[in-house]
Amino acid sequence: MTWLVWRQHRAQFYVGAALLAALAVLLVITGLQMASQYHSALVACAANHNCANLASTLFLGSHAVGFLVIMTLGAPILVGLFWGAPLVAAELETGTSNFAWTQSVTRKRWLAVKTGWMLLAAAVWGGVISALVTWWSGPNNALQLDQFKPGRFDITGIVPVAYALFGMALGIAAGAVIRRTLPAVAVTLGGFIAVRTLIALLARPHYISAITVTYKLLGNDTPPASAWQIAQGVLGPNGQAIPAPNGVAIDNVPISYLPASCAAPTPTNGGVRVAPSCSQALAHFHGFVTYQPASRFWAFQGIEAGIFLVLAAALIAVAAAVLLHRDV
Amino acid sequence: MMTTQGVPGPSLGSQGVSPVAAGPEGTQAAAGPAAIATRGLTKRYGKTSALTDCTITVPEGRISALIGPNGAGKTTLLRLLACLARPTAGQATVNGSTPRQDPAFLASIGFLAQEIPLYRRLTAEDHIRAGAHLNPRWDAESVRERLTALKIPLDRAVGKLSGGQRAQVALALTLAKRPRLLLLDEPVAALDPLARRNFLGLLADAAAMGDLTVVLSSHLVADLERVCDHLVMLASSRVQLCGDIEDLLAEHKVLVGPRKDITAIERSHQVIQITRTPKQTTLMVRLNGPVLDPAFEANDVGLEELVLAYMGQDAPPALAHMTTVGEDQ
Repeated sequence: MTWLVWRQHRAQFYVGAALLAALAVLLVITGLQMASQYHSALVACAANHNCANLASTLFLGSHAVGFLVIMTLGAPILVGLFWGAPLVAAELETGTSNFAWTQSVTRKRWLAVKTGWMLLAAAVWGGVISALVTWWSGPNNALQLDQFKPGRFDITGIVPVAYALFGMALGIAAGAVIRRTLPAVAVTLGGFIAVRTLIALLARPHYISAITVTYKLLGNDTPPASAWQIAQGVLGPNGQAIPAPNGVAIDNVPISYLPASCAAPTPTNGGVRVAPSCSQALAHFHGFVTYQPASRFWAFQGIEAGIFLVLAAALIAVAAAVLLHRDV
Repeated sequence: MMTTQGVPGPSLGSQGVSPVAAGPEGTQAAAGPAAIATRGLTKRYGKTSALTDCTITVPEGRISALIGPNGAGKTTLLRLLACLARPTAGQATVNGSTPRQDPAFLASIGFLAQEIPLYRRLTAEDHIRAGAHLNPRWDAESVRERLTALKIPLDRAVGKLSGGQRAQVALALTLAKRPRLLLLDEPVAALDPLARRNFLGLLADAAAMGDLTVVLSSHLVADLERVCDHLVMLASSRVQLCGDIEDLLAEHKVLVGPRKDITAIERSHQVIQITRTPKQTTLMVRLNGPVLDPAFEANDVGLEELVLAYMGQDAPPALAHMTTVGEDQ
């Protein structure tokens, strides 16, 4: 059985391995350059005592490679599209299932061996890409402190492995249910994007209750730069959220929420000065910021990976149920 | 004016039709153990019935012709026997066990689908090696010998072979499994007449040598007549005939006589088909004893004639009615 899997997929395996090798060469070379660039910049700024604004003045690497790394966001689904969706669908579509499933190998074993190798391939694919990207991003993470932010979170750590497994399982299940390759590919792509987007937007911010801090409007309290900032804004005197200003505003408080005395601020050479009654009104407003601290990065990676692994297992169960209990 | 009228009778099924037809408990019929015995086998897809109440017996060692018009349920029956589909109702017994997902059962059957299922990018040699990995019994040498004799390259992707060559590769692979029951769905359709003859000869040899049973579907009666000794006929998803061809031919006669009332004949024999000209009546009947009416002359029937008569019986009722109206004028 394994021999057949290898013989059927070895061409795709070579293509996949070549792509990974090319990516590895590119990322290792540029990654080493970025590391040495960052290191010399650190030495230089330490000498000049201006390391504080290094993040805004230093750009590491090239835009092209940086863009490619962001594009690895889509890499996990490729194996699901090219290997997963056709796995069952192409056999049914071309009728080769009639050959495969009338040899002396039960359909259960056929699916188990094929799915096993495919999932392993997906995990390796996602794992190698993520390992490369995670290592490559080291200097940038140290500089920009953005590894927890959406987009970066999704391409580093362990979640790309879970995404690739989910994409593969989705492809296999879609192929088994739909029984035709092209529609299965389309459903796999659409389903992957939809699930990833929904979970990233709706579920991820709430894996662990976010921390919200409020501060006086005239003061300031920003979370550590490495945190994932989810929301910020202004709370009114009764704690109600004030919509983001769309017009004239003072300290992000729209003028319509403030007394008339705020409407005519006195220009000064440093900005504006408001009337005392306006200042009193402003004192009832608070700024807030909601964030997930950087220390939760791995907890979030684990939770998100767990969700996608459970989904992948459920999809494999669907594929098995369809293949073993329905006609073929 | 001549009219041919089908006799839409009750479904024949195989109750009393086949000399060896029996339930599963009757698999040890006089003709020896049954390679296939089905009882009320039914397969429905939604509201469409692809196979209805199919009860047949194919004794071991036979080469059985599975004949019927397109859409009669031939493929469905073969897929049920090969465990590629599950019956809606009824049961099947193949080599003594119910078709199931079990390595031993799968090893005992060889199935070749109509569309010649092979991996187009793989070579014949790849398929031979795959078969060796997937089957406990595998006669790789026989495939290589056979394909070499047919001058079919082993190292070319099968997608680049001609349709006939592909069919030969698939047939050789199916035989290499050394199955006890070979289920072939229209296997000769893609072959030229010479290859067809050679292949059927090969089948006959294989069946004569060992305990191989073959079921071969086709709608080309002439091809099957040469090698088959057993017949299963389906029409409109139902079994019309099942039995040894010799017995079936002996049981049926064509009666030719004057145009007259045939009630007496209908009472004692089963009339399959009536053809009337203004002066003459021709009947295809299944005999239940001697024909007593001296006005009718009894002639032997050929397999093709017999099959066509049963297919005609299956003609839509509206059509049969129209020909009857024409006759009255």
